[in-house]
Amino acid sequence: MITTILTTIAIVGGMAGFLALLLVVAEMFFANYGEVIIDINGKRKLKVKGGSSLLSTLNENKIYLASACGGRGSCGFCKCKVRSGGGPLLPTEKPFLSPDEIKDNVRLSCQVKVKEDIAIIIPEEIFNVRQFAGVVSKIEDHTYDIKELTIQLTQPTEINFKPGQYVQLQSPRYGKIKQKVSRAYSISSSPDHTDYIQLIIRRVPDGICTTWVHDFLKEGDEVSFTGPFGDFFIQDTRADMLFVAGGSGKAPIKAMLEYLDARNSTRRMGYFFGARSRKDLYLDDLFATWEKSMQNFAYYPVLSQPTEQCEWNGRCGYVMPYFDEFIQDVNNTEAYLCGSPGMIAAVVKYLVSKGIPKEKIYFDSFA
Amino acid sequence: MKETPQEKRIHENMKAGVMCAKGFLGSDTRHFHEIIETDAAHLQTLGYTREEVADRMQALTNAAFEAFMGSITLEEHLIVEYRSFRGKLTCPFAHPGGFRKGSVTLQNTRNNITLCWTPLNIHMIREHGFFEGHGSEHRLDPDILIKALFN
Repeated sequence: MITTILTTIAIVGGMAGFLALLLVVAEMFFANYGEVIIDINGKRKLKVKGGSSLLSTLNENKIYLASACGGRGSCGFCKCKVRSGGGPLLPTEKPFLSPDEIKDNVRLSCQVKVKEDIAIIIPEEIFNVRQFAGVVSKIEDHTYDIKELTIQLTQPTEINFKPGQYVQLQSPRYGKIKQKVSRAYSISSSPDHTDYIQLIIRRVPDGICTTWVHDFLKEGDEVSFTGPFGDFFIQDTRADMLFVAGGSGKAPIKAMLEYLDARNSTRRMGYFFGARSRKDLYLDDLFATWEKSMQNFAYYPVLSQPTEQCEWNGRCGYVMPYFDEFIQDVNNTEAYLCGSPGMIAAVVKYLVSKGIPKEKIYFDSFA
Repeated sequence: MKETPQEKRIHENMKAGVMCAKGFLGSDTRHFHEIIETDAAHLQTLGYTREEVADRMQALTNAAFEAFMGSITLEEHLIVEYRSFRGKLTCPFAHPGGFRKGSVTLQNTRNNITLCWTPLNIHMIREHGFFEGHGSEHRLDPDILIKALFN
């Protein structure tokens, strides 16, 4: 009996092994897709070797779509429209796509394999995205879990971006970490400084990239990143500007305010920063400086749970009830929000209930 | 133990430095199947299903997520806080989709138990019965978890 079972297992195992080997050999000989053409926006054609993902193939050709997961299909950033040749939509893509996007042939480029000629549409701004190398010239501790890096660019030596955009910083292999990963961080410096960027980075418990930044990265180290990405930037209007942020969401708002300050902006601006306690507040002195240099700018820090040690006599609780201190005309107010999805959802709901049109609320959500 | 290619991939994903800095197995040398089976048996003796546990964790997570500016107190003895971070986490069992990068801290003031989990933990408990290995950053020992959630 036992001999029969073992023989059967051996036969089935042997057959499975043989079939697996056959598949590997077949892949080597038959899955050679040769050269294929990627048509981009109907304007540019790339001749590439088939077989890799669309994301990595574009990267090899110095076209960098946003991606925070290194092509694992987990961030949903690397979307592009595939007009033809992308194969069927995969189950790994569906959770990241809305019904409208699916209808519109939007795909995750990391999940699309380039096997045949393919026609795609990507935003023109993507052609401005570059890979940069730089040296960390300064690391500042802003709070117990937030650091700001200053990266002096070395190759290329200049970057052009809009305040509010982000880059994807690449962490190297370190310690037990056997792979490079890329993570998105908003630029916190003004685009007026083209030779360096600053990034505000909060420690993520057990995070691969932030652990590297907080525990391993030193001044003088070389780093690389791609960018700029994102469509969160200042609208060219005369409307009042209501800024709301929490935690490291301060980064893009700082870039925007520094940019506006350099232009002596006279727009009315109110910045509400929500933090739990005093130890979560940072860069207050800088915002106080801008309150002096920009006559129509006011900074409103709000603590949700100040302790006795905070010795806090300022605003407490949620940020929303304090918006009335700033908003004068809902029809002439734009809102710029950056922070957690919970905060964004609550603030958007509040502002809409106050009468601010949804299309005038711009945000960069951490989700 | 002989592993299928899929099991090998899952095992690899669980190691430190692959999907998160410290991984999902901690100092536990057991195979993840054994971890799951042991915890399932223990959960059964405690009289709860993994769905009940995940539902309770999800309800607390939702309440804390909506509060978003610090901790809230629920049912008079549960203090819950949600901290958001940019990005998403993926399931080591290769489920499609991403899970919010957030950290939920629950403090039960009745028994002074404090626990921390992520939205991914809820998914792994519900779908895979996986509470992570001993010594892992987010190991949720069923015994302690039940006391924190239901006492």
